Amino acid sequence: MLEVIDGGLQTTVQDMGRQGSMALGIPPSGAQDAFSLRIANLLVGNPTGGPLVIRDDPGSAGLEILLGRLKVRALKDLVVALTGAKLDVTIDGAPAPRWQAFWLRAGQTLACGITREGARAYLAVHGGIDVPVYLGSRATHMRGQFGGFEGRVLRQGDRLSIGPARLDVASLVGRRLRPDLLPRHAAPWEVRVVRGPEADTFTEQSETTFYATAWKLNPKSDRTGMRFIGPALSFRPGRPRYLIDDAGQDPSNIAIDPGAPLGTIQVPSGVEPIVLGVDSPTIGGYARIGTVISTDMATLGQARPFEAVRFVRCTWVAAVAALREQHALISESSVLA
Amino acid sequence: MIYESPMFRTLGDTALNVEFGDETSIPLNFRILALDQAIRKNPPKGILETNPQVRSLGIVYNPLVNTRDRIVDAIRELTQSLRAVERLPSRRVTIPALYDDPWSRECAEAFGVRNNMEYIAEFNRMTVAQVIETHTACDYWVTGVGFVPGTFVSYAMDPRKRIGAPLYRTPRTWTHSRLLNFGGNTSTIYPFRVPGGGQLFGRTPINIFEPEQKNRVFKDGPVLARTGDRHRYVSISRDDYDAIRAEVEAGVYEYQIEEGVFDCAAYLAWLDDLGEPREKRDPESTWERA
Repeated sequence: MLEVIDGGLQTTVQDMGRQGSMALGIPPSGAQDAFSLRIANLLVGNPTGGPLVIRDDPGSAGLEILLGRLKVRALKDLVVALTGAKLDVTIDGAPAPRWQAFWLRAGQTLACGITREGARAYLAVHGGIDVPVYLGSRATHMRGQFGGFEGRVLRQGDRLSIGPARLDVASLVGRRLRPDLLPRHAAPWEVRVVRGPEADTFTEQSETTFYATAWKLNPKSDRTGMRFIGPALSFRPGRPRYLIDDAGQDPSNIAIDPGAPLGTIQVPSGVEPIVLGVDSPTIGGYARIGTVISTDMATLGQARPFEAVRFVRCTWVAAVAALREQHALISESSVLA
Repeated sequence: MIYESPMFRTLGDTALNVEFGDETSIPLNFRILALDQAIRKNPPKGILETNPQVRSLGIVYNPLVNTRDRIVDAIRELTQSLRAVERLPSRRVTIPALYDDPWSRECAEAFGVRNNMEYIAEFNRMTVAQVIETHTACDYWVTGVGFVPGTFVSYAMDPRKRIGAPLYRTPRTWTHSRLLNFGGNTSTIYPFRVPGGGQLFGRTPINIFEPEQKNRVFKDGPVLARTGDRHRYVSISRDDYDAIRAEVEAGVYEYQIEEGVFDCAAYLAWLDDLGEPREKRDPESTWERA
């Protein structure tokens, strides 16, 4: 058991998310920085799931800690690891390592400071956070109020069950990520994008501007979508009449359609591009200039409000290569024991 | 328009859209649903899930298992056999509704706009009674499920009964749960308290989203609507509303659902016989008036 002393700003139970429910209007949810959660699970000897959200393989659930400040107490001896955003972490006041598995003994309190670089930290516990599986996953979907711990953020007094431990759990202690693999969590962020289905509806100049701009992350961003502050983009003239009737007056309106997959970039009225997040609506309705590649959604999950983000054009082939490369890192060869 | 052959749109490294056209119409939706069925029955390697919507089929796949090109080829092959859609499985679901209800009025007041039902009546050049009569006079075809969990998009199957109203220019920050609303010429229901821009005109006492899955109608999932359902609305009194709501909350309400198969070919022939264009295109009916 793990007892929550302070839930912090927004801490939720997440795994790699639920697959197969999009046709019911249910988004995948899951960790925004899937790479950090998978590494945390790898270090404590848990199933890591993935490489994407794969049906029936969401991996073990951990905690996604937005901007820090989580405080939890162990009610039995646990092996844990903290990854993702940079923050100070202590056990009963003494500094503890990040990206490394360590003991959190019964009665000890683990406390996270405020994140200093990056936005989301991940806590994995050997055995996994044992909340009920809902539609194939333990991920929390806050707006729908299901999954995770009672479908909501963690609060003081919540008690989280932990799954069964292996016999040789002590052997996990000290496992750490190879230092050369530590992600750099600092702006300006670079995020790769594959050209989208409605990229041609923007003017050539606007598409150039999209890739040339250092966009600033809007603080209203959340797990539903990340919005970016920057120049307005414009659309080519000459839209067909029937599209105006079917979809609406605004040149960014396309007929109601699945903009659904994670990473879709919509630009309503040409203002403030929105990257759809893990909890996004499953239908979009606005021109899609591009899609953030699945690997770089993890990077984007670490951007902080007002930090600069650049979008970089990428081919589908390069995007798949990046995914294959990142997936290969989730293995014992990335771990120093 | 409906394209000669489907278009495949790339959405990053893990998703595709299959598009049969860029109009929103029930005939086009039949083809999407037929392809969705074919894929579910015989999924090409690497496909993780599908998301059928009004004019396109969303595909999510694992590119480490199969390449996009091979998946496109496999889907293209499946579409060859789907030129004419004869029949589709389709349930008929009865949805009781209290029209021009106090909760919709309260939302309008809270956001400083006039009662939406009066606006809808005016926009369609009808009385409020005629709006209710028209909305309950034909089945609505569910072309897609989604946006937030439980909600859906549906169109009147009789083009002569098609009414609607433009979305709010600035969406509300909240809406009561279970409110019926129009967004353009689509009719839907908000499953729970969410922001939204639909014009509100009634409330149903039945749950269209039940995460705790109390009622046995939700035993396979928390969402009532399925793509390809036909919805039929029935106007009820406040007393009926309260009685049904009590049963729904107790988890004992008998949802009225008929399983069945829909004869798409006969429907398309009927549309042709009407002598009207399949999609009404009134050049005056743009959303400018919102």
